[in-house]
Amino acid sequence: MHLGGMLATSLFTACTSRPGLVVFAAASLTDAFNELGDSLRRRDPGLRIQFNFAGSQTLAFQIEQGAAADVFASADERWMAIVRDSGYVADTPSTLVRNRLVVIVPERNRAHVENLEDLARQGIRLVLAADQVPAGRYARQVLLNLSHKDGFGPDFAPRVLANVVSNESNVRSVATKVQLGEADAGIVYVSDVTPAIAARVRRIDIPDAENVIAPYPIALLRRAPHLEAGRAFIASALAPEGQRVLERNGFLPRD
Amino acid sequence: MAVLLCLLALPLVALVVRLSPAAVWHRLGQPDALAALRLSLITSAAAALAVVVLGLPVAYLLATRDFPGKRLVQAIVELPIVLPPTVAGVGLLLAFGRVGLVGGALHAVGITLPFTTLAVVVAQSFVATPFFIAAGVAGLAAVESRYLDVAATLRAGPVYRFFNVMLPLALPSILAGAAMSWARALGEFGATITFAGSLAGRTETMPLAVYAALETNIDTAVALSILLVVVSFGVLACLRYAPWAGGVGGGNRKGSRAYGPGR
Repeated sequence: MHLGGMLATSLFTACTSRPGLVVFAAASLTDAFNELGDSLRRRDPGLRIQFNFAGSQTLAFQIEQGAAADVFASADERWMAIVRDSGYVADTPSTLVRNRLVVIVPERNRAHVENLEDLARQGIRLVLAADQVPAGRYARQVLLNLSHKDGFGPDFAPRVLANVVSNESNVRSVATKVQLGEADAGIVYVSDVTPAIAARVRRIDIPDAENVIAPYPIALLRRAPHLEAGRAFIASALAPEGQRVLERNGFLPRD
Repeated sequence: MAVLLCLLALPLVALVVRLSPAAVWHRLGQPDALAALRLSLITSAAAALAVVVLGLPVAYLLATRDFPGKRLVQAIVELPIVLPPTVAGVGLLLAFGRVGLVGGALHAVGITLPFTTLAVVVAQSFVATPFFIAAGVAGLAAVESRYLDVAATLRAGPVYRFFNVMLPLALPSILAGAAMSWARALGEFGATITFAGSLAGRTETMPLAVYAALETNIDTAVALSILLVVVSFGVLACLRYAPWAGGVGGGNRKGSRAYGPGR
């Protein structure tokens, strides 16, 4: 609690310079970070945090183009490494959380996708994140992993990929298209199945052995306008209380 | 004026100076760029055609008749100009999606729009329609009624009067409207990515390819952007200087200013 108080104080002092801390975060962190932001603001009503949620690749591009951001939370290590290699990261990135993938189908499930094998059935309208989006790359990795599993067959991945009708620019759009019933199935993070979405989709779990457990790195950015506030935000996200918020939103703890 | 010109022109300059023409040519020759280019040409041409065919009767009625609800019709056909394209996409999805308002009925007769090339054309037509209607209405309304009256005294029927008197006189505006709606369709992004999704060769038009390429290969994105800039500029230049566009002594005096050739 003492730590929390200290963080709140330092956040407050650092944030008295307007317009406040700017956090660039992967789209999949939307609900978790909004909740985290709310709880930080409750403790410190003067706190100003702005979140910019988008696909990690979009955020990386914006940072490289000089966006005035303080903190970058990426859904994969690749985009963090790219931003870091270009010299935009101040501290060594820490692992924020880990995430894993799940297949979702619309609640009405008119295409009768009941299990993972059904994804390869001809005519299924599958929506994935594009392969430059971390979630899209992981989804393709999962399909390859499943191809090596008994009962799926080596042509499983190409057959499933032939069913892709759209490569969405971020993982949340995948969840939206499934939720609206426009797609028959999609592959998203477990954390994307938020309470609002859970009521409208069914989950088909991917076995841990074939799943991708993706670490999310978070880092303070160089030339951050709100250095101290950024550092404090990262610390509070990594602290037990912050981790509990993230876990409640479907993420796996950082280690 | 200098500030405004910088604001508008500098982004274009920045795009053009980044790559040499040879590099642009090379990037545009890549299969993914070609696929986007081909898809964009086909869909935008189809959208422009659809807008002209469906829009001409509407423009005619708006230009020549008064009827109950005319203002409402005018408002509806103008709305897409100010509506954010993403909102248009969400609306299209909720209306014509598989489980949308009329999507179920469409689905039952075997038409499923989302994620198809046809959905791209529908999205483009949605946003492009007002540009044609505005120019078409202006052009048709500017046709002086005495020509039609003279034709009528010569016992020309209404259909003959429309196709042989009115249409030729209004043609510059109608062509200008068609060109503007084609250019708008070519640049469509928000409604397309929301309603039609993004799949190379099927729904990934040039603007969507630019967006995707930004995150993988910025030079490809720039090359595609330059092409879009050149085409858009070409359309505007044609509208302003082409002989049929009414620049000098054209047929329509007050007609086609709305979006068409300026003066």
